[in-house]
Amino acid sequence: MKMIFDHGAYRACIVGCLCLSAAGVLAQSNTTILGPSNPNLKYGADALLSGDTDEGIRLTLMGLEFARGARERQTAKSNLCAGYVMLREYDTALAYCDEVLGENDGYWRAYSNRALIYVKLGRLEDAERDLQKGEAISPSSRTLKAVRRMLLDATNPVSPTIIIDDRRSPARDTDED
Amino acid sequence: MKTRFRAAVVLICWLFAAAGAAEDDSDVTHLTDDTGNRMPLRTVVPVYPERALADRIEGEVQVCFNVDREGRTSRIAVRRSSNRLFEKPAMLAIRGSTYAPLPQGEELSGIKTCRTFRFLLDPVAIEVPDELSADVEP
Repeated sequence: MKMIFDHGAYRACIVGCLCLSAAGVLAQSNTTILGPSNPNLKYGADALLSGDTDEGIRLTLMGLEFARGARERQTAKSNLCAGYVMLREYDTALAYCDEVLGENDGYWRAYSNRALIYVKLGRLEDAERDLQKGEAISPSSRTLKAVRRMLLDATNPVSPTIIIDDRRSPARDTDED
Repeated sequence: MKTRFRAAVVLICWLFAAAGAAEDDSDVTHLTDDTGNRMPLRTVVPVYPERALADRIEGEVQVCFNVDREGRTSRIAVRRSSNRLFEKPAMLAIRGSTYAPLPQGEELSGIKTCRTFRFLLDPVAIEVPDELSADVEP
């Protein structure tokens, strides 16, 4: 097992969370609007998804400042958590994830991001606890599954072994074709 | 003379198996005996499926196939398998494997050859002392 922390999977985790958060921002209102209700939040998520982390965080912070309602605020904080994870500023990221979960303990994306932070920090029991909570809310989440695999790599590393067994006596070919 | 030839073939087979293992990062064990009528020449080691590795799935596949006069494999079919994840890599491995050509004067037996692949995961202890501290540095 070469890598304990697969950075490709890690990036996929973040991107998956951001996609869903961005979609949530757009879908939260029943009113007819032209463009996103909180453009900074939307474009911040877009920037984070495209890998422009600094700009994404800047815009998302602005979006948080003008957030209307708990949903936008939670989305902003969850995306800030993800953004700071991308910058490997885990303490800052953790603070934002904690805030989200303090407001809404059913926010699986924040559990996913926080579990990822815990894995990166080696707090594996905390990661397991958050993963279980996230999986209970969203059992089919690919993001959570990716973090679960990273946790497994950390707690239960394995080395693939293949046995090629030619010892069996060849079977008589009874095929008609 | 025939014994020496067989020994040489087995040696070559092991070298190829070792080369395949190095590419895939998997440990490989090749078990053989004298019950088969054809000697492996090039043994391709299947790749451990990424999803099976990530989900900690082990399994076993038995593949049966024909070997022609030149030692090429054909009519490859899975005879039994514990998980479909392993079937494609096993079949691809057989497709790339070859056997020693049939010596002049010998006839094809019409017997299918079978090979069993066991995909196993051995627990390992890995210590990465610097990685986490490196990760938390800005």
